[in-house]
Order: sequence, then structure tokens, then C-alpha cells
Amino acid sequence: MNNTAASPMSTATSSSGRSTGKSISFATELQSMMYSLGDARRPLHETAVLVEDVVHTQLINLLQQAAEVSQLRGARVITPEDLLFLMRKDKKKLRRLLKYMFIRDYKSKIVKGIDEDDLLEDKLSGSNNANKRQKIAQDFLNSIDQTGELLAMFEDDEIDEVKQERMERAERQTRIMDSAQYAEFCESRQLSFSKKASKFRDWLDCSSMEIKPNVVAMEILAYLAYETVAQLVDLALLVRQDMVTKAGDPFSHAISATFIQYHNSAESTAACGVEAHSDAIQPCHIREAIRRYSHKIGPLSPFTNAYRRNGMAFLAC
Amino acid sequence: MASAPWPERVPRLLARRLPPYPPPPPTVGLPSMEQEETYLELYLDQCAAQDGLAPPRSPLFSPVVPYDMYILNASNPDTAFNSNPEVKETSGDFSSVDLSFLPDEVTQENKDQPVINKHETEENSESQSPQSRLPSPSEQDVGLGLNSSSLSNSHSQLHPGDTDSVQPSPEKPNSDSLSLASITPMTPMTPISECCGIVPQLQNIVSTVNLACKLDLKKIALHAKNAEYNPKRFAAVIMRIREPRTTALIFSSGKMVCTGAKSEEQSRLAARKYARVVQKLGFPARFLDFKIQNMVGSCDVRFSIRLEGLVLTHQQFSSYEPELFPGLIYRMVKPRIVLLIFVSGKVVLTGAKERSEIYEAFENIYPILKGFKKA
Repeated sequence: MNNTAASPMSTATSSSGRSTGKSISFATELQSMMYSLGDARRPLHETAVLVEDVVHTQLINLLQQAAEVSQLRGARVITPEDLLFLMRKDKKKLRRLLKYMFIRDYKSKIVKGIDEDDLLEDKLSGSNNANKRQKIAQDFLNSIDQTGELLAMFEDDEIDEVKQERMERAERQTRIMDSAQYAEFCESRQLSFSKKASKFRDWLDCSSMEIKPNVVAMEILAYLAYETVAQLVDLALLVRQDMVTKAGDPFSHAISATFIQYHNSAESTAACGVEAHSDAIQPCHIREAIRRYSHKIGPLSPFTNAYRRNGMAFLAC
Repeated sequence: MASAPWPERVPRLLARRLPPYPPPPPTVGLPSMEQEETYLELYLDQCAAQDGLAPPRSPLFSPVVPYDMYILNASNPDTAFNSNPEVKETSGDFSSVDLSFLPDEVTQENKDQPVINKHETEENSESQSPQSRLPSPSEQDVGLGLNSSSLSNSHSQLHPGDTDSVQPSPEKPNSDSLSLASITPMTPMTPISECCGIVPQLQNIVSTVNLACKLDLKKIALHAKNAEYNPKRFAAVIMRIREPRTTALIFSSGKMVCTGAKSEEQSRLAARKYARVVQKLGFPARFLDFKIQNMVGSCDVRFSIRLEGLVLTHQQFSSYEPELFPGLIYRMVKPRIVLLIFVSGKVVLTGAKERSEIYEAFENIYPILKGFKKA
């Protein structure tokens, strides 16, 4: 799914006019998040700023599309169903989102059982909160599922390769840490957009929207933002790995022209050498990752542009 | 509460000699008579254990073998090993026991409680050793082994009929099997910590009871002190008492939920107190089907745990989403307990219906956690 934002290739991505002069910046949090996702100990500030722009752009556009869907059905708030609807095409990412929702439900159930105060509060709140997200997801997918493949996802037990890879990377990263570093790493891992819900809301400028997302929808948006950052880091690490020409690599002469062009463009050379000097992810890696991600490869790609809105593909869905 | 060495850890040699005995269901609140008989079996097992070594077992499997010990005590078919946890309970609270003496210590003998003496002498015609004491719950395998080595009974062929000396030298074959026992990762069914005597403490018990009569919640709320009732928010009276410090939810159907107690007896006592309050208000309250629904325990392993490693190797049991919750959620299958494991080393166990499940779960997880210790 695509958005109408400016192309990611420009360095100063300003998403839709409301971001200019915005005082809310998640750059420091993003730096921590990137560290916890596999970047170096101190990720670059420029990279964090770029990632923030990318995530912001994508989220704003996602929100706009979700608002459109909501309007279509005449609702007044953006509900999780709208977001699930937008994600229906990508099975793997949808499955990951569903798993996340279930784990959230499960965790509330357990924590409730442990603390008696929580238990009381839950009882007093009146509604049956157990598995609420799961129910929402199941009911909705039930209603839109024509072929049965969406519902099949609930029983699906395949390993999520992307998540697996992230777990392995984290494990490798932590194996060599001492306990002080590890404590710091754990704290970074705990950072998320949902912890800073109000800042997140302001960052997305939700108050100026006509149709606002409800609570569960905000949770999902925070999760999607985090997923976007994670995807960017995954892809950037891959790109960085590619950039390092290994001796004996038979294809080193065949690196794509655009790639070399990137390297030679004014902004990138300043930011990153051919071989990255520091361990941190450079903005050029991010840009290259997005370029590759948006690039539709296939026999019909030249002919699909007409149906594609310009701009970058969503990373999170 | 500390843990006693489980003789069944010492190899299942017994299995060779004795046909298996079907395990009786675990009973809660085992009376001391049976508890003593259990101890006797432990001894006898120890003796027979001298034959050889048992293969190591995965800590996740539940031992099947202990039951063969029953054969020795055919007269006590009801004794269950699962009863041991209850036994531990009644023995009182033992604080962490220092296991550093494993496996060559004799000094444990001194801590023995001469509880079972009389029973043993009944059963054990050969050996009337006054020193054949039941290892106290705070003992280790070693203690048992050493004890049994001092018994000379028909079941043990290895033992030179040692005298009453409870100082059977550690160099007896005992220590071999015992040192083996200490390295054999068997799943004990009792709260023996093969590690360092860390015992999970119960933090919360949720129980339900049926008062078996329809209740007028408004009347209760009006006349009882410490009662809240807000029918618009929730259809039950919330009552609290100070001793034991608990909260009860009383429904108009007569069912009641009692939470906040720190032990099974306290929960039962509190539930009875609430029932009495209701009774005093004029309702024909009874006390039916008291059942513990959930027990929560917690403890601290005192070292940092590398959760990323744990979630990778135990994927099918664990989920770790640090941005959602700082702890790893581990769903143990046997016993069916959910553990929340934190980086700091704190472990919370929940979902148990019995104390033994909490202990067993912790025993199962401890070696795994040690494997992911963050130096």
C-alpha cells in the first residue's frame, strides 16, 4: 500500500506541512529503540531524525487512509477494524499484529490474576475485558473473510521468520554484554511508542483530525510505528552488509548503478564512507533500504505505476 | 520452607527390583502419620538405591519411579510423594538451607528430627537404629543416604550392617550415588531446591466458597462494616477484614470470592470469617465447596537473567515483548503454571491450584535460569 508523501529520497522529508516547526521529536527515543533493535551502541542522530521522518510520514498517511475507510462506513472514530482492514493484504504482517494483540490480552489477564487490586478494578470496570482485542480481531476478520484464508491465520502456527531473526540478533548482541550493559540494553528494549502515548498522539497531531482513533486503535498505531522502526533497522542492516564488498565476491562489479549514484551524491558521502567507519547505521543505509523496498520488481512493474500512488511503500503493512 | 532431599532422585534402581506401584493422588494437608510413613519409604529407597546409578533425567519430566517405593510399604498405599510438599508445610518454615555441604556431609544428621523412629522400627525389623531419623525437610539427598546407610535392613544389600552410627562415612557407596543424585537433574515432586534452598513465597491466594443461600446485598452493605456496594458498577459486595488481611466479593447468589491471603489456611480462615459475618446478619450461610482457585508465589534467584537467550531456546513456552511488559512470560506445561521472569532475577509464579505446583515449577525453571545467568 502506498502513500502520497514526498519521495523518501529527499533528505528533509516534510510529511504534510504540519511537521515543519514541530517541536515534538522522538529522536532520542528512536536512538534507544534502534540500539535495542540491532544498531550500534550509540546510533547516529541524523539516522534517528531520518527514521523519525519516515515513520511520521508513513503513520500520517496510514491514518489518513484509515480515516477514509472509517468515513466509508460512516463511523466517527477510527477503530482497530479500520487498521486491520488496511492491513488485510499482507498476511505475515497481519499475523504479527494479531499475535501482538493476543499477547497484550494475555498479559493483562495474568497481571490481573497476580495483583488483587487489579482484579478488583477489572471487576468494577464492568465490561468483560478479557480477550477484548482478540475478540475484536476475530469478529472483524470473520466478517471480511471471503476465502477463509484470514481466519486460517488464527490457527496458523508457522514461525515468523522476521521475528525469529530479530530474536537471534538480540541474543547475539546480548551474549557478549556484561551485566551493566545488559541492564541498559533491557531498558532500551522497553521503550516504545505506547509508553509515551500522549506525546505520540501529539506527534501525530491527532487532535486536528476530524476522525480520531480510539484507544485500541492508538495501541495498534503505536505498535505499527515500532514495527516500522524495526523493519527499517532490519533492512538497513542488510543494506550495510551488502555494502561491504567482500574479497572474492563475484558480484562486486555488478552493484547497481543507482546504488553507486547514491554513494556519490553530495549528502551521502558526507554522512557515510564506502565502508562504514562506525558501527552505526548511516542515513544512506536507510535511504537505500527504502528505495529497494519501494521498488517493485517483476515483469509487470513498468505497467503498474498508473495504479500506484507515488511515494514509498508502507513498511509496517 | 526448605526442601528435603528426595530419595527418589537417588537412582531408580529400585525399579529393577520392585514392580511399579500406581501412584495415589496427592493429598493436601497430609496428616503426620502418613508423613512419617512416607519418610520411611524414603529410607528404604535409599537403601535399595545403593545398587547402582540411575540415568540422568530431564528436569521437565515428572519422575515416574518414586512410586516403586510404595512396594516397600505395601501397607501404606495411600502415601503419596506429592504429599511431601504438605509435609514440608507442616514442618514449619525453614529458611534457605545452605547446600554447600553437598554431597559429603554428615552434619545433617544433627538436624534430623527423630520423628519417625517408631515407625521405622515397626517396618524395619532388622534395623532398630535410633539414628534412623527421617531427614528433616531441610536435609539433602546426602542426609538421607547417610541415614539409610546406617540402616541395615533386608532391602539393602550393600550395606554392611552399619551400626547405629550415624556417621557413616561419606566414603560409603552412598556418596557415590548421592553425588550422582546431586548432579542428576531429576524433577523432584517436592520443594527441594537442589540449588540453594530458594523457596518461593506465596503472595496471594484466590479462593471461592459457596454460602449456599441467596443474599440481600443491600442489607449486608448496610449492616456490615468495611463493606462497599455499588450496584451500578458491580453486582457484588466488597468486604474487607484486617486479620488475615483479605478482600471478599460476595454475590447475591451466595457465592463468594476471597483474595489477598498469603497461605491456604489463612484463605480458609478468612473465608470462614466472612461467612460468619454473613451468618450474623441473619442469613443461613453455610460453607460449601471451599476451593483454592489460584495461588501466586514469588522469589528471587539473585542473579541477572539473559531473557533474550531464554526466549530463543524456549520459544514454544515463552513470550517476551519488552515494549509491552518487562518480564518474560513462560508457560510451563507440567505443572501448568505461568511464570513471569524478570531480568533482575525476580520470578513470579501464578496459576497454581496447589502449593506443590509452585515449588515444582520453580524447581523446573531454576536450572534453566541458571543456564542464562548474566555474569
